Amino acid sequence: MKSPNETQKKYVPDMAQKEIEDMRNLIQANSKKVIADYIARMKKTSANRPEAMKYFDDIADLFGQRQKEMQAAKESGKKIVGYFCAFAPIELILAADAIPVRVNSGWYDASKIGDRVVPVEVCPMVRSTIGAKMISLSPFLEMSDALISVLTCDGMTKLSEILGDFKPVWTMPLPRVKDSDQSLRFWNEEIRSAKDNLEKLTGTKIDKKRLRGSIELVQKATKVFRRLQELRKGPPVIMGRDAMLVNQAFMWDDITRWTEKTEALCDELDKRVEQKSWACPPDTPRVLVTGTPMIWPDNWKMPSLVEEASPQGVLVADELCSSDRILNDPVGVDEWTMDDMLKGISERYLMASTCPCFTSADGNEDRINWLINKVKDWKVNGVVYYVVRGCMLYAMEYSRVKKVLDRLSIPVYYLDTEYTREDVGQMKTRVEAFLEMLTARVDI
Amino acid sequence: MITVGIDMGTQTVKVVVVKDGHVVGRGKVFSGFEPSKSAETACTEALKIAKLSSAEVEHITATGSGMEMALTSDSTVSMMGADAKAGVSFFPSARTIIDVGAEEARAVKCDDRGIMVDFVVNERCAAGAGAFIEAMARALEMKMEEMGPLALKAERASPINASCVIFGESDVVTLIHRQESKPEIARAVFDAMADRVSSMIFRLGLTPDVVLIGGVAKDVGFVASLKRKLGLEILIPEHPEFAGAYGAALVAAGRVK
Repeated sequence: MKSPNETQKKYVPDMAQKEIEDMRNLIQANSKKVIADYIARMKKTSANRPEAMKYFDDIADLFGQRQKEMQAAKESGKKIVGYFCAFAPIELILAADAIPVRVNSGWYDASKIGDRVVPVEVCPMVRSTIGAKMISLSPFLEMSDALISVLTCDGMTKLSEILGDFKPVWTMPLPRVKDSDQSLRFWNEEIRSAKDNLEKLTGTKIDKKRLRGSIELVQKATKVFRRLQELRKGPPVIMGRDAMLVNQAFMWDDITRWTEKTEALCDELDKRVEQKSWACPPDTPRVLVTGTPMIWPDNWKMPSLVEEASPQGVLVADELCSSDRILNDPVGVDEWTMDDMLKGISERYLMASTCPCFTSADGNEDRINWLINKVKDWKVNGVVYYVVRGCMLYAMEYSRVKKVLDRLSIPVYYLDTEYTREDVGQMKTRVEAFLEMLTARVDI
Repeated sequence: MITVGIDMGTQTVKVVVVKDGHVVGRGKVFSGFEPSKSAETACTEALKIAKLSSAEVEHITATGSGMEMALTSDSTVSMMGADAKAGVSFFPSARTIIDVGAEEARAVKCDDRGIMVDFVVNERCAAGAGAFIEAMARALEMKMEEMGPLALKAERASPINASCVIFGESDVVTLIHRQESKPEIARAVFDAMADRVSSMIFRLGLTPDVVLIGGVAKDVGFVASLKRKLGLEILIPEHPEFAGAYGAALVAAGRVK
């Protein structure tokens, strides 16, 4: 498929090639520094950091090994399918013999370029993704042959239109109320269209055997993913930032290899639990973070503040579609018929999601229940509700969540921020006050 | 027991010396370009008033946005922690402490021991803080201190909907062009500020008694607007701008071994 002609762009203004290159070089060089810096800081914070993290430190280089591998695969004829939301059916992408990769932008600097297309009030992740595309910053987005865009929020809806200036975008409208047969039928049709689109793109027919293979592959990944989260229920055996990086690496790594490496990490962590060798003191306040997705690398800002603060906190769980929610629920299949498998895929993505884009008479109870369970089972002491400016759905659901957590006597702090580094000082003050409150450090 | 609290504010450094639970000295210096030096100067000033030498001080606790720059301090406490401590010490019945400073407004919920249980801070915007009054006074060509008493003379409210200092200024210009009187414009400014601060408090949950501290607590115009918005009496200690430093000095006392 050809990308549309330059002059036919509906949204994006033309940029001089020289400016594109200068900007890309500048931001890429800066991003490499940010990546190296965060990895160094993660190493520093964790006492006795697991050996198995070495692999994830390397795969975290967005301009490194994985980029080369995917480039090679692409040159050998493989198709690459980018996606934005955790709703994209990766089992189908894999079954069509394509490589799935999540392409939301976590680069702060790119959001300023996106400002040329949309106003600053718009979600910075959306602005940054537009900016990243304008200067061809993201290797994964560049390599994508097509993009799957699930229309979850307003930002995502218009983002898919804007990126249509560069790439074929397959939109998947999502019903906003999930508890009805009608919604499931509708979504099931969307899943089928995605299947058709993928088959056309790759020329590979998604047959029963292929689909079952990919479902089983992702089920294996889910199993180890859940094993890792389970390990975080006890005393802190791994720092939250490390676990978040492992979770998130799933978005761009080779899934089979990711599963092996995460398995190895869990084996190592099991030993540490036996030896009672903890990543930080066991009485460190346990924090859960919920809200806007945090995309590597620049969005490690808030998790780093928590885990490097004085008094220190540790992230033991989250409710982020960029982390603990990625693989929480496997596809359930009764009989391995095509219909049943497709239905299983529909349900795994629609019914299990706790995205605030849904509404229901009981007030998005699924998300609330997830949070309550996480808080209880992961023995959370406090919740940070993280929202980037312009992230309307998460911002609006805050009062609902706060009321519930108040009833459980779990302190929650609303932390709003932007795709910027300038507010770190101010954020630090608040995060430390919150952690101080959790440790009740203020002497009586 | 002698302890010192240093509040490294964005605009001024405040120091309070506490001896056996009583304030015996205060010092206040503009933060300026070298806040650590300003802290030293304010300390010297306060100790001079207290007629004490620095050697007699048992523990120094710093608070405020620049607390890490207070080089002589033995420990630090968050601004919210210091606010809670001070508020309950002034008024034992206090459960919500509102602190409005130059660049930031915050509200802290606390228990009867002065330990914070929840807090909220104005979100990356100075429209609810003292800098806003300063900017608006400039637009009205008057001294900041004159605005409060003037606002009390206003006969009616003229709502403006300020979400930031810059846009607030253009809102004020609109009122000037509409030829509203100065007292009414002054009141509109305080009402807008009180709106921002009170909606923040309502999000936190309003638990009486309410104490107002921070430099802006001295502004009668703001206090009147805030009382109207909250619909209840507000307790204000003497020298409200020193409350943070006082709270830090109390925390310091708790840390003397």
